Amino acid sequence: MRTPSLSRPDARLAGGMLCAAGFALLFARDRFAPALGIELLAAAFWWWARATEEPAVHVPRWAWLRRPATALWLAAAIETVLPAPGGAFAAPPATLEFCWRLEAVLVVWAALELLAALPLTRPYSDLPGPLVERGFWLPALLPSAGFLLLWRQAPIWLDVDVVRDVAALLLLLTATLAALRAFGRRRWTAGLRWLVVWDGALAGVLLASRAIPAPIVALLWAGACGTHTYLLVAELGGATPRRGPVMATLWRATAWTTSTALAWPLLIWAGGAGPHRGLIVLALGGASMALAAWVDVARMPEAPERRTIARPGSGLALGRIAPAFVLAGVPLAFASAWWLGYAADWRLSLLALVPALLGGGTALLTFRSTARAEPGPWARAGQWARRAARRFFRMVVGLERALVAGAGRLLLALATPLRDLHTGDAQEYVLFLAGVAVLAALLPLLR
Amino acid sequence: MSPTDPLWAVLLALAAALALLFAGRRGAAARGMIGAVLVLVPCAASVAGLVPMGWLAAPLVAALVVAALAREAADPLPGECALKLLWVLGGALALSAVGAALIALATGVASVPEQWAVLRLGLSPSLVWKIAVPLGLLAGIVLLGGAPFHFWVADVFQGVPAAVAPLAVAAMQAAGGAWLVSRLAGVEGFPEGADLAGVVLRTAAAAALLAGAGTILSQRRPERRVGTLASLQGGLALAMLAATLGRGSNSPDAAAWLVPWAAHLALALAGAAPLARLTAMDSLPGAPGSPLFRRHPLSAIAGLYALFSLAGVPGTPGAALWLEVARHLVASGRSGLLVALALAWLTAFAMAMRELREGFGAPAAGDALPNPVPVPVRLALWLSGAGLAAVGVVRLLAR
Repeated sequence: MRTPSLSRPDARLAGGMLCAAGFALLFARDRFAPALGIELLAAAFWWWARATEEPAVHVPRWAWLRRPATALWLAAAIETVLPAPGGAFAAPPATLEFCWRLEAVLVVWAALELLAALPLTRPYSDLPGPLVERGFWLPALLPSAGFLLLWRQAPIWLDVDVVRDVAALLLLLTATLAALRAFGRRRWTAGLRWLVVWDGALAGVLLASRAIPAPIVALLWAGACGTHTYLLVAELGGATPRRGPVMATLWRATAWTTSTALAWPLLIWAGGAGPHRGLIVLALGGASMALAAWVDVARMPEAPERRTIARPGSGLALGRIAPAFVLAGVPLAFASAWWLGYAADWRLSLLALVPALLGGGTALLTFRSTARAEPGPWARAGQWARRAARRFFRMVVGLERALVAGAGRLLLALATPLRDLHTGDAQEYVLFLAGVAVLAALLPLLR
Repeated sequence: MSPTDPLWAVLLALAAALALLFAGRRGAAARGMIGAVLVLVPCAASVAGLVPMGWLAAPLVAALVVAALAREAADPLPGECALKLLWVLGGALALSAVGAALIALATGVASVPEQWAVLRLGLSPSLVWKIAVPLGLLAGIVLLGGAPFHFWVADVFQGVPAAVAPLAVAAMQAAGGAWLVSRLAGVEGFPEGADLAGVVLRTAAAAALLAGAGTILSQRRPERRVGTLASLQGGLALAMLAATLGRGSNSPDAAAWLVPWAAHLALALAGAAPLARLTAMDSLPGAPGSPLFRRHPLSAIAGLYALFSLAGVPGTPGAALWLEVARHLVASGRSGLLVALALAWLTAFAMAMRELREGFGAPAAGDALPNPVPVPVRLALWLSGAGLAAVGVVRLLAR
């Protein structure tokens, strides 16, 4: 006999709804909203993963998404237990200071995990998402969630200097590694997933630098990340943005411009940020910008136009209108920034464009009207550089994994005696009790 | 929480226990059921605070539970549990009795608050009370089931029928809390003693929370995971006592907090214990879900709600208890203990979410599962889950 059970919603729909609700909650400033948002995002990935043909592979692969959610739950709990100004009870200042720092660490931890900036989750963008056939773009959602978290929760972490500086450094390293990985990957879609990580990480550094107001950073990030995500999603719809030379050129220009717009204020800021900090940002930010620009321009393969006659009304397709809006958004964002008081030295402004022009310009030189049968010296150098980038990324990930595994083994070794406590017999427990009693009696005497 | 809430919560836990007893009536004789009821009713009364919970409650409740478990002749596991409890709790009570006797001898008075007042005069040698105070607190710490004495709680959940284990464990843990409160009555009058007791309680609380956090995720049996959650609740009570100790007017807060805490514990355990019996052991991520979750998902959610409340998942009544303890720790400036509490909460939360995901598992082909879960067992899950949800709603409305 069968009893009534809950009807099973379609996995795609259920996961999509959870995901949409999660993203909506990330915009809210309520105490528990971001934690619930990331929890829903994790639930969406779980729902998709369990519905695949290989749940035993996909469910554990995306289980780490609960970690950032957990960090955010703890951050929300800390905020809940802290006394409100003029509240019923007071707390020692040292404890309050500790709690504020811990809260900032937790928020940043969650965002860094989503942005692939911590060793535990670094290579996730190499993997397709859990939704069968349509899931290869889903990992692009995670860095977006990470940046939204950094942006909306900025008041919690931006004022804690140590946390802000460490986060900026980790994000800068992540942006460099992401650009390197995008450069090293042969497939366009895989490169795009890493460019989305680059967008989020670089926007996070820009946020931490406070070079321009946070809403403008979000606007610039939306332009760059939106372009890359659209290109990624559009691969499902017949790769329309790269069909034909006009569309391909239009989208190349859009991706190049939006990426440049994101890195430009950061490089200008680095020019006047002091010798140490400025040098690090200029070196890593400039290198990653050049690589990202190169990938944006050179890696988008032009697909042949499938129709000889354009479909009626296709001139107003989203794929053609969107670049116009995005390209118009960039000067608008900078105009808004200037209106809000942003000012930059014109010499630094010009210099800050050099990495993007270098990367994109070099990429333009690789275009040829006819393909050569034998690769030339420049092409061979390019292949060598790509292999080197791949090897370097694998080496970094391998090293990080070895360190994490070592720490895990150490923790396991420390926890083993605790587990053994569960396996004794009654007489051993009495002996243990006697030992603890002796210890309890002697330790106060030794204080 | 209104004063009647603990009573209602315990009555619901008792009803859940009776439903489970009814479900197992085919295998057990009527005499066994009567024996179980004779244990459950006094345990429920003590948890609800209907009987005075002084220092005498601890040996009485422990003796009652040990005697009841020793009677279960058909199954060797309850007998083994009874033996372990007898050795450990008996030894701890004996050591604590020695500690209490030492202080009584040193001060010449029997009343605990008066003992602290006499000690403050400095007439007794400090060596005696410095040894006697930790020994006197030992029974309460062991009864609360915090690590390193967390094994007995998990043993009881694994070895004792799910009908008896929740109320028995809740009653013993409540008795442990009452023991500590009675031993520390008036200790504010003797700051050195309060200082020493504070160190003992903080150490015990930190050990309970950290060891619970370190072991809960590695427990293979679901019953032992519930047992470890219960021992974390013991750590929670220890942290509350440590945070409020020696803070003058706040000390009675801890004693008042123990009654709703124990009632919530009993009700949450009443749902979590049968759920554990119906959950697969060593379930792999991505494997099909348990029959309960696939066949009766709503009943499973009711049971999960009880487990979530035990783990302090936000939105459940249990979360309010965890947050209240954290607030007291912040107010008393105990950052170290706060971190231990946070770690314990996070691992308990992670464990609860893992139970949810593994319980529902991956969709399996074909829904026609044989052997539906008996109605009384599902009723027990509903009584616990719905009862806790009602407590949560009442709290929300009262706010």
